[in-house]
Amino acid sequence: MASVTSHSGKPHAGVTSAVPAPAFLSRAEPAASAEGFRPAQAVATLSPIKWIGVSGGLGALALVAFVACLGFGTETISFANVAVLLAQGPFAEGATRNVPHHIILWQVRVPRVLLAFMVGGSLAAVGASLQALLRNPLADPYVIGISSGAALGAAMAVLFGVGFSILSLSVLPFSAFLGALLALLIVYRIAVSYGSFSIHTLLLGGVVLNAIFSALILFLTSLADPYKASGMYAWLMGSLTGPDFQTVLVLAVYLLFGVAVLVSQASALNLLTLGEEAARSLGVEVERVKRVLFAAAALLTGSVVAFSGLIGFVGLIVPHAVRLVFGADHRLLLIASGIVGGIFLMLADTLARTLLSPAEIPVGVVTALVGGPLFLYLLIQQRRRIVS
Amino acid sequence: MSERPETPALSPLRLTDVTFGFGRKETAAQSPVLKNLSLTIASGEVLGILGPNGSGKSTLLKILMRVLVPQQGKVEMFGQPHAAFSQAEISRHVAFVPQETQQAFPFTINEMVLMGRYPHHNRAWALGWEGAQDRAVAMQAMRDLDVSHLGTRLITNVSGGERQRAVIARALAQEPEILLLDEPTAFLDLHHQLDIARIIRRLNRERGLTVVLVSHDLNLASQYCDRLVLLREGEIVTMGSPEEVVAGESLERVYGCPVLLDQHPQTGKPRVTLPV
Repeated sequence: MASVTSHSGKPHAGVTSAVPAPAFLSRAEPAASAEGFRPAQAVATLSPIKWIGVSGGLGALALVAFVACLGFGTETISFANVAVLLAQGPFAEGATRNVPHHIILWQVRVPRVLLAFMVGGSLAAVGASLQALLRNPLADPYVIGISSGAALGAAMAVLFGVGFSILSLSVLPFSAFLGALLALLIVYRIAVSYGSFSIHTLLLGGVVLNAIFSALILFLTSLADPYKASGMYAWLMGSLTGPDFQTVLVLAVYLLFGVAVLVSQASALNLLTLGEEAARSLGVEVERVKRVLFAAAALLTGSVVAFSGLIGFVGLIVPHAVRLVFGADHRLLLIASGIVGGIFLMLADTLARTLLSPAEIPVGVVTALVGGPLFLYLLIQQRRRIVS
Repeated sequence: MSERPETPALSPLRLTDVTFGFGRKETAAQSPVLKNLSLTIASGEVLGILGPNGSGKSTLLKILMRVLVPQQGKVEMFGQPHAAFSQAEISRHVAFVPQETQQAFPFTINEMVLMGRYPHHNRAWALGWEGAQDRAVAMQAMRDLDVSHLGTRLITNVSGGERQRAVIARALAQEPEILLLDEPTAFLDLHHQLDIARIIRRLNRERGLTVVLVSHDLNLASQYCDRLVLLREGEIVTMGSPEEVVAGESLERVYGCPVLLDQHPQTGKPRVTLPV
């Protein structure tokens, strides 16, 4: 943890922590001198400049990763070629339009890599928000059952309504949203009723909730005809296969809106990490903020699950790593987690579609294999901290 | 300070016939935590709230802050009903220091203290950046509590005494007229207990900060409070100067055990000891 301590601001001149500042230095100053006596550096935290710098830098990194991921796949396209094809644009005229690489790039890879970025970013932003809301650094929409709530909602829509199309834009996302919201309310109830800091109770509650929802999903699947059922299994394992441009654009609207709502509550999220009562005493309209956060988190989880199934642990790993580097302030954490989560899932999906090419591994398998062990490691760390 | 009350003579906080219970309406009415309680806090005083476990001390504090809202009765701040204010407006006048602050995330002490500026933020620009004024106020609060040298340390990595001082600094960063403390010394060793008690009294004497503190420590309360309230089962048993309240008969009645009383050798205030 030592590397974390220096993440914000310069160290104060007298930081030798063994020697407390002499009383005459810290007290005798008249109040008026507070303005002139290097207050800005001394209480330096997040500034808009740092915020823009970090998000801009990460954004540039995301762009590089995006272009890099476009080259890989069953058919490798050289970077030079990727650049040329990107420059031609999706609606290139005449002959170029029918070149196989142009089709692969613009009709298959660009939508898919964009989808990966958006899904990863949303999951990471939701994860970071849930962690603050539940005061639990191990919260993740997948681990605590929100994703499977959404999946149950989606599965019910598929079975009882709209004919089997995971990407249909009608009842499906709304039903997934309701499922996610229901799961979130149950989980929040569990977290609150056992006091402020029961990390393990919450996780246990999430595990059981997951089990119940999974059982219901399997039950529904067994009612479906075999063709539908196999499609649902593939979707449940988390898949970013085959989106078209229109789908990606519609989803982008939902997700950008949801993430923007989360970011707009960042200051309040900082205070909510202190607990509801402390947050209220510091002026947060807790009930209103909670309603907004629940709705946004359910919207994001619901849309993501409806389009790409269950992709776990992104919301856990990414905010954790970002916090280590950039600190805990949610004003930066949410946006940085969003971008880094997007990068992470673009890379994970590239792995998923190249490792066993031409076959594909479900991307949910990749993220779980990376994230699961890390989760266990963090769980052990938490336990140590509580014991010590 | 944003909006100073126009008539400082008004009581900063006044409770009239307040009844409060947890849970649903029916259960709350059956076993109220506070019963028809009336209390007027005077501007500039240090008021101590005493009483056994479950007597409603912390609940009373949370009602003063509108963290909890009573089912019956009136709560007024500077003569106006609580309902007339937004939560942020209340937080600009009244600050609350909880018994213990647990933080699972790696915030620095700087960031923790600046959270006290939240009720003053102009959130038209949603992210709520702190300005020079916010930083200056936070810096002063950190100097007052002697934590300015800890600014870049993580709240998760400092001692209990340092964390509690940082939390009080955060409360001062709200620029309140009234400071509410819930057992501010409960988890601290002797040295830090004395430290916190002296800081609180200094803020009261030098800045005119009105202080309401809940304590289990009868002697600390007797030493540092101008006025004491003794609660039992949600009702006020006695109220008055330390000499009036820390008296053998009422203490034995409220706590249900015998006590020995003598006087503090320096101040002459009543001092409580348990018999063998």
